Order: sequence, then C-alpha cells, then structure tokens
Amino acid sequence: MFLARIDGTVTATVKHETLAGLRLLIGQRLEADGAPSGDPLVLVDTLGARHGSTVMVTTDNESLRKAVGNTTPARLLVAGIVDQVFQEGTR
Amino acid sequence: MRLGVVRGSVVLSLAVPELQGLRLAIVEPITRERLASRGSLGGGKPIVAADQLGAGAGQVVGFVEGRTASNPFWPGKVPVDAYCALIAENIDYHPPGKTKSAVRKASS
Repeated sequence: MFLARIDGTVTATVKHETLAGLRLLIGQRLEADGAPSGDPLVLVDTLGARHGSTVMVTTDNESLRKAVGNTTPARLLVAGIVDQVFQEGTR
Repeated sequence: MRLGVVRGSVVLSLAVPELQGLRLAIVEPITRERLASRGSLGGGKPIVAADQLGAGAGQVVGFVEGRTASNPFWPGKVPVDAYCALIAENIDYHPPGKTKSAVRKASS
C-alpha cells in the first residue's frame, strides 16, 4: 500500500465491462517527504475521495475482483482516505 | 493503471495459441510532466499491451501492467502482462503548484 494525492479524474465510455459505473481518479504516488513519485495513476474509488486529498492505495486486486468480478484488470483501489500521517525524521 | 497514448499496433506472424487473434497495441505511457503541460502527451517508454477495446492511434488509454493484466481472460491462462482497460474521453487534471492544466480532451 502507498499514499497518493488525488490530482484529477478520468471519464471513459469505452472500457472493460467490470469498470462500468466505477469512479476513476487520477492519483499521484507520494514519497515520504510528499514529493511526487512516478507517472500519474488511474485509481478506482468507492469512498468518494476529493480532489487534493491524500489517500491510501492498495495494489491488491482481490477486493476489486470480489466486488466487480474475477475478470477485472483493475488493481489500484483507494482503500482509505488519510486523515493524518505521523512520521519521524522528515521535515 | 497508468495512462498512455496509442502509437500503433503489432501483428504477429507466429504466436502461442493463447495470443492468436488478440489485438496488440503499442502504448506510450504519459508522464506527470507531459500530462501537466499543454503539449503532446506521452513521454514514457512504449510497451505492447493487449487491446480488446479497439483503441486507435492517438487515443489515450488506461492500461494495467502485471499479473492482473491477464484477469480479463480468466479462468484461461494467457501470457499477457499489459492490458488496455479503458479509452479515456476526458481527463481532468489539476496537480497542485504552478501548472494550470485544465480539462483536456483525451486525444493526442
């Protein structure tokens, strides 16, 4: 699991059938110091994360498979919305 | 899932049985810098991804990588590790900071 910041949304009409009706967000993975890391990611969100919020993303797709079917290729799910991060040794 | 621009396709003359008839797209991943800029999308190292959506050159797709890329063929076992899961229509991207990237039509 890792932390990401919500930077936007994606809409798509043509998509894998298991993604129908799911909210798709653009997330940016964050380093420990809050710096962005890697390319923007498309996340599945069922919690209603807002733009600018920090979320915890899981890369395990078992919960998505359970929710929308075994054939889903999607893997990145917003598993939680971050309230606070406590961290020693940075900033 | 990352975002990428479809740059072309690959046709195999000979393939393992599981891949026969499968459309393969060349996808150039979109980097953070390119998505935030108003210029052309892309910038990443192109990969080959299975495509069952019929994504054409210039279209932006969401593609998954790794083991879950073969889930659409479940319970079959297919040697696919990248798969186009969606064709993006609109991308609304507003990272914090100086860049003022607004809604963009997802074509490049």
